[in-house]
Amino acid sequence: MNPGLIIAIVVVLLLIIPILWFVAVMNGLRQLEVKVEEAESGIDVALTKRFDVLTKLVNTTKGYAKHEAETFENVTKWRQGLPTKLSLDEKQQFMAKMDGVQAGINVAVEAYPELKAEKLFTNLQKSISDVEEHLQAARRLYNSNVSRVNTIIVTFPKSIVAGMIHMEKKEFFEADAGKKEDVEISF
Amino acid sequence: MNEKLKEFQGLKLQHEKKVKMGGIFAIIGLILTVLLISYGPYGIIIVIPSLIYMGIGFSGFRKLSYRFKTEVLAKVIVSFVEDGTFEPNAGLSQSQVYGTEFIKHADRFHTEDYLSGKMEGVSFVSSDVKLEERHVEHTKNGTREYYETYFLGRIFIFEFNKDFDGYLQVLEHGRPQSRRKFEKVKLESVDFNKKFKTYSTNELSAFYVLTPHLMEALMDFEKNNKGSISFSFIDSKVYIGINNFKDTFTLKMFKVLDETAFEEFQRELNVIKEIVVELKLNNDIFKKE
Repeated sequence: MNPGLIIAIVVVLLLIIPILWFVAVMNGLRQLEVKVEEAESGIDVALTKRFDVLTKLVNTTKGYAKHEAETFENVTKWRQGLPTKLSLDEKQQFMAKMDGVQAGINVAVEAYPELKAEKLFTNLQKSISDVEEHLQAARRLYNSNVSRVNTIIVTFPKSIVAGMIHMEKKEFFEADAGKKEDVEISF
Repeated sequence: MNEKLKEFQGLKLQHEKKVKMGGIFAIIGLILTVLLISYGPYGIIIVIPSLIYMGIGFSGFRKLSYRFKTEVLAKVIVSFVEDGTFEPNAGLSQSQVYGTEFIKHADRFHTEDYLSGKMEGVSFVSSDVKLEERHVEHTKNGTREYYETYFLGRIFIFEFNKDFDGYLQVLEHGRPQSRRKFEKVKLESVDFNKKFKTYSTNELSAFYVLTPHLMEALMDFEKNNKGSISFSFIDSKVYIGINNFKDTFTLKMFKVLDETAFEEFQRELNVIKEIVVELKLNNDIFKKE
């Protein structure tokens, strides 16, 4: 074979292989980014569901806990700030707020034992624990995907591609340990 | 129960003795055949009756094993499992076994030792399953057909009573045997991902079902049970396959039959209970309304 042709093939291969690798890594990162966004929307759905169930729970509790009615009334005012419009940090704050309300309901239940006997209330309590599980799953899925993206972003040589397409490290969705304890409903 | 055990131990020893004696004489016969081959295959005169005697011993042992299952084991199992029924001759149907969606179709199918009942209020059915694949080998003398066992163990089906959003499989080996659009899911636990491969039609469902506690429990379960473990979550059912190449409730030859044998059976049954508890099936949210 003509030596010139061999050199030409080698040069072309040396150019093509890095381009193909670049495209593959870039696509992989973009796909992961989409997964992170999907997971974030999963958190939105779970937060909204939790908000809906919590609102119903508050309405049921209000009838019994008249002293705390004003506090619970504020919950309905959050409606305009539902998760889809919030940043990740605001979503975490939103979750913390709901944790606080749940803690308040727990206290109310202790003070008004007849609440426990209310069938609607116990059903809503079951629903809220189910919604909680979904929220935890959505949070774990989101964090797992973020962890994968962040690992690629900081690992050489893929970090070069991430830098070239201006991909930045993603934020984790943290569960506030202190608030998490409050969420526990003990009937 | 002790009297019954002694009776079975005595009968067991008789059959084992036949197998042992037959085996020893068969070996002596074979040695003599080789040594005296120049005078003729006279050793065969010893080998053939020895093998027949050995066969009688094996056959008797098998019959005894069946009697042991029906007369002794069935009572022990039924007392241990709520609403328990044990039928040594029955087993899960093919549709139930393949319904797991992690077991490929077999050329030869055998099930036995059907056990059903409730654990912690959760209904289950289970049986030993043996699956074989047909192989054809082409040799210069023609073709040779043989069967290879690829699954020998126990399958459990639990009524989860809570429909899943999506389908999920957690497999130690192999791939889902289903046409569903499964995708591999990576969970946050590196150790869990190393031990099991997770497939799901909905990534979020996988995270919902496999809580950190459940992942830990599944890893413990795997550690305590030899063989390959598979889990499948379909609609409201949880399927568990333990491919340990073990016939669960069968008498073991040359192993003393005493109370420890029952303890072993009980331990095997406890595995079922562990599954129920570990999968949190006893929680209210998983029970029928």
